[in-house]
Amino acid sequence: MTVALPEQATRKYDLGFARWVRDNVNGGAKMSMCMQCGMCSGSCPIGTEMDQGPRKLFMMIRAGMKDEVFNSSTIWNCTSCYNCTVRCPRGVPVTYIIQDLAAKAVEFGYVKKVENARFAKAFWWSAKTFGRTDERLMTAKYYFSFGLVEGMKRGLANLKIAIGMVRTKRMHIGMPHKIKDTKGLQAILAKAAEIDARESKGGA
Amino acid sequence: MTDRKPGVYICKGCGIGEAVDTGALEALASGDLKVPVGKQHDFLCGAEGVATIEKDVADGLVNQPIIAACSQRVMTDQFNFDGAQTVRANLREWVAWAMPAGEEDTQMAAADQVRMGVAQASKMDVPEARVEEGLNTRILVVGGGSTGLNAALEAAATGHDVLLIEKTGKLGGWGAQWSKRMPHRPPYRDPQDNNVSSLIEAVQGNSAITVMTDTTVAETDGMPGRFNVKLANGSGEKQETVGAIVVATGWRPYDATKLGHLGYGASPDVVTGVELEGMLANGGVKRKSDGAVPRTVAFALCAGSRDPEHLPYCSSVCCGSSIKQALQIVEADPEAMVYIIFQELRTPGTAEEFYRQAQEAGVIFMKGKVKSVGADLTVTVDDELLGQEIPMTGLDMVVLATGRVPKATDPDKPAAEGGEEQLANDINPVAPIARAGEAEIATPAWSEAVPEGGPILNLQYRQGPHLPMLADGFADSHFICFPYETRRTGIYTCGPVRRPMDMAESAEDAAGAVLKAVQAIRSAQGGMSLHPRVGDLSFPKFGLDICTKCRRCTVECPFGAIDENEEGFPELNATRCRRCGTCMGACPVRTISFDNYNVQMVSEMISAVEIPDEFSEKYRILILACENDAAPALDMAGINRHSLNAEIRLIPVRCLGSVNMLWISDAFQRGYDGAMLMGCRSGDDYQCHFVKGSGIAEERMANVGQTLQSLMLEEGRVRSVEVSIADSAKVGKMIDEFVEEIRGYGMNPFKGF
Repeated sequence: MTVALPEQATRKYDLGFARWVRDNVNGGAKMSMCMQCGMCSGSCPIGTEMDQGPRKLFMMIRAGMKDEVFNSSTIWNCTSCYNCTVRCPRGVPVTYIIQDLAAKAVEFGYVKKVENARFAKAFWWSAKTFGRTDERLMTAKYYFSFGLVEGMKRGLANLKIAIGMVRTKRMHIGMPHKIKDTKGLQAILAKAAEIDARESKGGA
Repeated sequence: MTDRKPGVYICKGCGIGEAVDTGALEALASGDLKVPVGKQHDFLCGAEGVATIEKDVADGLVNQPIIAACSQRVMTDQFNFDGAQTVRANLREWVAWAMPAGEEDTQMAAADQVRMGVAQASKMDVPEARVEEGLNTRILVVGGGSTGLNAALEAAATGHDVLLIEKTGKLGGWGAQWSKRMPHRPPYRDPQDNNVSSLIEAVQGNSAITVMTDTTVAETDGMPGRFNVKLANGSGEKQETVGAIVVATGWRPYDATKLGHLGYGASPDVVTGVELEGMLANGGVKRKSDGAVPRTVAFALCAGSRDPEHLPYCSSVCCGSSIKQALQIVEADPEAMVYIIFQELRTPGTAEEFYRQAQEAGVIFMKGKVKSVGADLTVTVDDELLGQEIPMTGLDMVVLATGRVPKATDPDKPAAEGGEEQLANDINPVAPIARAGEAEIATPAWSEAVPEGGPILNLQYRQGPHLPMLADGFADSHFICFPYETRRTGIYTCGPVRRPMDMAESAEDAAGAVLKAVQAIRSAQGGMSLHPRVGDLSFPKFGLDICTKCRRCTVECPFGAIDENEEGFPELNATRCRRCGTCMGACPVRTISFDNYNVQMVSEMISAVEIPDEFSEKYRILILACENDAAPALDMAGINRHSLNAEIRLIPVRCLGSVNMLWISDAFQRGYDGAMLMGCRSGDDYQCHFVKGSGIAEERMANVGQTLQSLMLEEGRVRSVEVSIADSAKVGKMIDEFVEEIRGYGMNPFKGF
């Protein structure tokens, strides 16, 4: 478990937040190396789909804008292409930090309103269970996470697309595809979780 | 020179032979110009060409070889002959390379170059060195801080005796009070131990260095090689003689009480960088209010610097010193949170490593301007990267990185009588450079620009007791072109009195200033000029029989080289003189001359040019080009094959300050259609190599306009332009435009009279 967020509810800007990120977020210790050059934001292929680019997100962390950081779409819209990480002249693992901020947002309950988090959860369920993404089941899980009525509504709205995909063999009906060795996958994931639990205190 | 034996040597190499008819030039020299020896050669600077001239000189046929070849700036060693005085006529850069080959106008320009060379030789003499006897070689270093200590050691290492004086009771200055210094050795990452104490030991152990503490300069008189310095200390005054002076008086912190908006004074826990440094050196950082060790500290950089209301300049050191202090705080307490709020972090070169080190240590850098600091230590930052104002609360201490004020004056001394007034006149006009698109910066009033206090050296010069300063109070001249020079020959500044700099830079600066001082002493001993006419032996001679005691030469000399004697006649302090000729340009009765440069010489050169009659449609424009920047720019125009108008006639001058307005009226009476002066930039960011020569020339030109009007000539026929050494591509166009304008006026009606 991560160290609890510092209690500074009465202030808008929280000077302890940067320190907390440094100590608790994967890769956070490297964040102080950021020199705000903007290479990350300039390299981001979906920067236009984010509330702010990684550069500004990092500046917000320094300024202690805790709520704004965790509610930002940036951490959810990142596609993990690693362009920013590869290009950062100061060696900041931007992608790790963003991914872990998303995990922390879930952990601290910031994600009630964020659809991306629901989608990410559905995606992860499919990947973990089958070793593959099954479009049907993943989409169903995502839609019904909004509730039964909302799930039906969303499903019907996309019915035409689904039929089209089946017809062109982009989606299949029947048992979901699976990888051959799901047990092996489970073992890998269990090991990864073990390593993560051991090493997740700061440092990339 | 009683017996002048000129000889014209024309080179055909480097394309000259293809561009002009050198045979005709040779015929001109031996025919019309009646020069006894006239020769041409395919490759004059080669061994054979040089040998030809050498032989003529050795045989006593020639003692003034007139080299009609390349620019006066090149091949000077090849064309230097013992027992002869070389004259250069530039056929290569200014004719063959800049004008179309084989044309009549090009040939006329080449012929006029030869005519001017011969005319120049007819009024030139070999300068006799004026060597002063019994000059002193000791170097006085004023200021015993780290810069002064370095200067003293460097001077001693060059074999000179040193007199080091320090105002306070002990050596070391600010540097001795710091616990650590910024890194100046690889890997440039951690604050380093202070080496000031070892510098002090080295100085005290050096037998060539005499140290006097509690001592200030009461009076300075004399000149390089013989400065008479009156030193004052508690026990009285002492007279000393030194050869040159290095001023290393350093800096003082900007008065933080003027920074009320940054909370100084409102809270005891808002401290300056200097105060923090004191804490670091004496048992660690503690809050003044409750003695607690601060856990959360914010540094506000540029506190008072780069602020038109306070110090308009960057103090340069505060970025580095704040990083150092932040690292010291984090090192003492790794859990401490340190914020550095910067506008632009200036960590050039290896300082970037230091910046990285601080980032790795977890110091948080925020880009923005600190708008205000409240009494409760709430820092309001205008965050540039977030585009909003951020109030920072929960801070235990705020450090203001206050800027540096140069100690070009002594704040503890009373203003000298007439000193403040003199200082105001000698500081360059406070005119911040206007740049397109930028908001105009408020110009501070004179009273604000003049630093308070008395003169450091109390110079007994007619220009007043102070060292001249730049607009912001730094005792320097043009900091790129003429570093260390103070506009007072033989007196050099180094360290933070010259511009803001750290200890490592100051140490290098000290070495530079000392080398300048050594140069001043050696040149004084040989009767030679200093920069930029290095080695020149000529000096101004005054024809006192017709001198009217008008004092223009004494007033206008940029270096205070000329004083008035008891009878009111000009008297030269020879080793202060830089041979610019500003006195010669000033003299209304033209009785100031140099052996190898005088009013008559240039007048003869102007008259030597053949002026075509008014039916020829050929104009003649005289261009007097400063030899420091304008003439090289014209040379480079030729080298880069930019074309020059073939109707111009170029004469290099030592400085526009040496241009006597007689030459301009001479030119118009001779039938020239226009005249142009090309010199260096004047004003606050001057590039004039003699400080104010070009500025003086501009003033004089205003009067020439009136003279022209009285002759019924258009004022626009005379122009003064600023040319920098990088203007080679522009200079030809400037000339073309001017020639076009002259054509608009038509020909000079005095032609043929």
